[in-house]
Amino acid sequence: MPTRPESTRAQDDWQSLSRQYWEAWADATRKAFGAKPDEAPQDKTPWHEGLEQWSRFFSADKARDAQSEVVERLLAGARSYFALLQSLAEKGAEGNADPQAWSDALRESFNFPGADAALIDNPLARALRELAGQGAKGFEQMMEDLQPALNEARTLLGMPAFGYLREHQEHYQRMATAWLDYQQETNRYNALIARASRRAFEVFENKLAERGEPGRQIDSVRGLYDLWVDAAEEAYAEVALSDEFREVYGALVNAQMRVRRHLQQEVERVATDLGMPTRTEIDSMGRRLHDLHRAAKNHAENHDALHEEIAALRAEVERLKTHGKPLAPKSVRAAGKTAPRNARKTPGRE
Amino acid sequence: MEPIRIDPKRALEEALRAQQKLAAGMRTLREVEDVDYGATDKEPVHTEDKVVVYRYKGKQKPTARAPLLICYALVNRPYMVDLQDDRSLVKNLLALGEDVYIIDWGYPDGADRWLTLDDYINGYLRRCVDAVAKHAGVKKINLLGICQGGAFSLCFAALHQHKLQNLITMVTPVDFHTPDNMLSHWTRCMDVDLFVDTLGNVPADLMNWCYLTLKPLRLNQQKYVAMLDILDDKVELENFLRMEKWIFDSPDQAGEAFRQFIKDFYQGNKLVKGGLKIGDREVSLKNVTIPVLNIFAEQDHLVPPSASRPLGEHLGTKDYTQLAFKGGHIGIYVSGRAQREVPPAIHEWLAKRTR
Repeated sequence: MPTRPESTRAQDDWQSLSRQYWEAWADATRKAFGAKPDEAPQDKTPWHEGLEQWSRFFSADKARDAQSEVVERLLAGARSYFALLQSLAEKGAEGNADPQAWSDALRESFNFPGADAALIDNPLARALRELAGQGAKGFEQMMEDLQPALNEARTLLGMPAFGYLREHQEHYQRMATAWLDYQQETNRYNALIARASRRAFEVFENKLAERGEPGRQIDSVRGLYDLWVDAAEEAYAEVALSDEFREVYGALVNAQMRVRRHLQQEVERVATDLGMPTRTEIDSMGRRLHDLHRAAKNHAENHDALHEEIAALRAEVERLKTHGKPLAPKSVRAAGKTAPRNARKTPGRE
Repeated sequence: MEPIRIDPKRALEEALRAQQKLAAGMRTLREVEDVDYGATDKEPVHTEDKVVVYRYKGKQKPTARAPLLICYALVNRPYMVDLQDDRSLVKNLLALGEDVYIIDWGYPDGADRWLTLDDYINGYLRRCVDAVAKHAGVKKINLLGICQGGAFSLCFAALHQHKLQNLITMVTPVDFHTPDNMLSHWTRCMDVDLFVDTLGNVPADLMNWCYLTLKPLRLNQQKYVAMLDILDDKVELENFLRMEKWIFDSPDQAGEAFRQFIKDFYQGNKLVKGGLKIGDREVSLKNVTIPVLNIFAEQDHLVPPSASRPLGEHLGTKDYTQLAFKGGHIGIYVSGRAQREVPPAIHEWLAKRTR
C-alpha cells in the first residue's frame, strides 16, 4: 500500500481539525442563541469567520444593549486572538519550528481577509485604530465629511486673493494649507507607528529565541499571544519615548488643532450670517460670568470675616459697658480670629 | 531546543474553549445589569457649584482624632476608592477607625470652562478643607491626595499648611520630567494654548484615548482577550464591568485649569524646578514642614515611580515616609494586596502623628 506524502497528510489533518472546530462552534451558537449559523465558510479562515458570525449575532441581540461597548471591544480583541490561533495552529500542523517561520505566521495572522491595506504588517496601527474614543473618532469622521469641500479649497491654494471676497478666499486658503499640514503630520506619525510594528516583530523573534531553553518553551497559543503583546509594547515604548516621536506627536496634535480652529471660524461665520450666537460670544459671556462669580464668592467670604469681626467688637463693647475694662487680647482673637490689629484697640486707649 | 511546541490539536482545544466561553458570555451578559458601584454609605456635608464633599458612614464610630479628607484627581471619578465591598480603601480605613471624607469634583461643563488652578486649589479645595474641619469640630485635618489630586494637595499644603496636620500623597507625580514618563513626554511639544483655545473644555474621550495609547495592545486588546476567561463567571464579569465603567466614566477637563496644569506641571516641571504660582502666590514645597507619607505604585504606567519618588528631597519636612506598593496605578486601590497593605499603612502612620 503506497504511503501518502507527509504534506498531504498534514493538510488532511488540518482540514479535519477545522471541520471539528466549525461543528463545535455551530453547536455552541445553537445553545447560546437558538440560531442557526451560516454554512461553513469555504475559505481558509473558518476560525476568524466564526468570530465574525458571533459579531453579527451580538449585533442582532438587543438584550446586550447595556454592555454593547464592552462586547464590541471584546470581539475586537478576540478577533485578533482567533486569527492568531488559526494562523499558528496551521503553522503547527506544518511542523515548522523555525522562530522566523513562527514570526511570519504571527505577521500573517494580522493580515486577515478584508484588512485595510494600510494595516498590513502593522498591528500597532490596527490597535490604535481600534481605539473607539469619540473625541478622536469624531474628528476623523468630520474630516471625511468635509473632504470634498477641502479638496475644492485646495484648488484655490496657489491663487492670489482679491476683490470683494478676498478675505474669505484667504481663509479657505489657510484652511486648506492647515489640512495639508495635518495630512503631512499624520503621515509622519503613521510612519513611526509602522516602524514600531516592524521593531515589534524583531523584539518578538528575540524573545522567542530566549524561550529555546528547557522549561521556558511556549506550549499554548495564549502564551505566545501574551509574549507577542509584551514584545509589541516594548517596541512601541521604545519609539514612543524617542525625541522624534515627541516632536511628531506634538506637531500632529498642533496641526489637528489648527484645522479645527479654521473649521470653527468657518462655522462662526455662517452662524453670524444666520443671526445665531457663536462660540466666541458664549465664551466671552462665560468668562465675564465666571469673573463675577469669583468676585461674589470673595465678597461673601470677606463678608463672613467682617461679620465675625463685628461680633467680636460688639462683645468687647458690651464687656466695657459692664466691667469698664476690655477683653484680654486672647479672648478677642478667640471671638473673632480675623479681627484686624486695630480692632482690638479700645476707644479709651486711643 | 524549539521555543514553541504548540500542538495543533491543543490549539484547536484552546479555540473551542474560547468559543464556549463566548457562548456562555452571551448568557451571562444578558443576566448582568448595568453595574453599580460604591460600597459604603455616605452623606453630603458641603456643596459648592458642582463640588460635593461627602462623609462616609462606617459601621462604628471613628476613633481617629482628626478627619481624613481624600482629594481625588479631576480626570477620573473618585468612587475608585470605594468601588465595591471587597475592593474598598474607604471601607478598610473606616474599619480601622478613620473618619473619612471625600471630594467629588463633579463633571465640568461649559460653565466651568474658565475655572483655574487658583479656583480649584485656593478656592474649592480650601473651602472643602474648612468645611470638613468645621463638620468634625477640629482646627486641622489630615489630607490624602491621589494622583493629580496629590499634586493639588502638595500645592495646598505649601500654601495653607496651617489647616493641615498630616499629608498623604498616593501615586502622585512630582517630578514630571523623568525619562520614562510617556504622558509627559508627549505633551512637551504640544501648543497647549492652541489646544485649549480650540477645544475649550478638554473632552473626556480624548483624554481616555490618550491614556489607552500609552499601551495600545495591552489596554485595548489583551485585556479583552483575557476577558474571555471570565465570561462564564457572573461575579467576575461584574467586577470587570465595574472597573470598565470607572475607566471610561471620565469628566471633561475645565479648559483653563488644564492649560495651566499642562504648562506648569507637565511642560515646565515647576513643582520641583520652582516658579509655580497658584493665584498670586508662589508654591514652594520647602514650605511643607508637616509630616508627609508618599505612597506610589512600582508598576504604574501613568505616574511612573520615578515621578513620585523624588518628593522627599523637595519638601521642607523632617518627617517624610515613603511606601512603594507592588502593583499598578489602579491595583493600588482594588487589588487584594492593596486591601491588605495600604489601609493599615495609612492608619498606623496617621495614628503616630495625629494629635
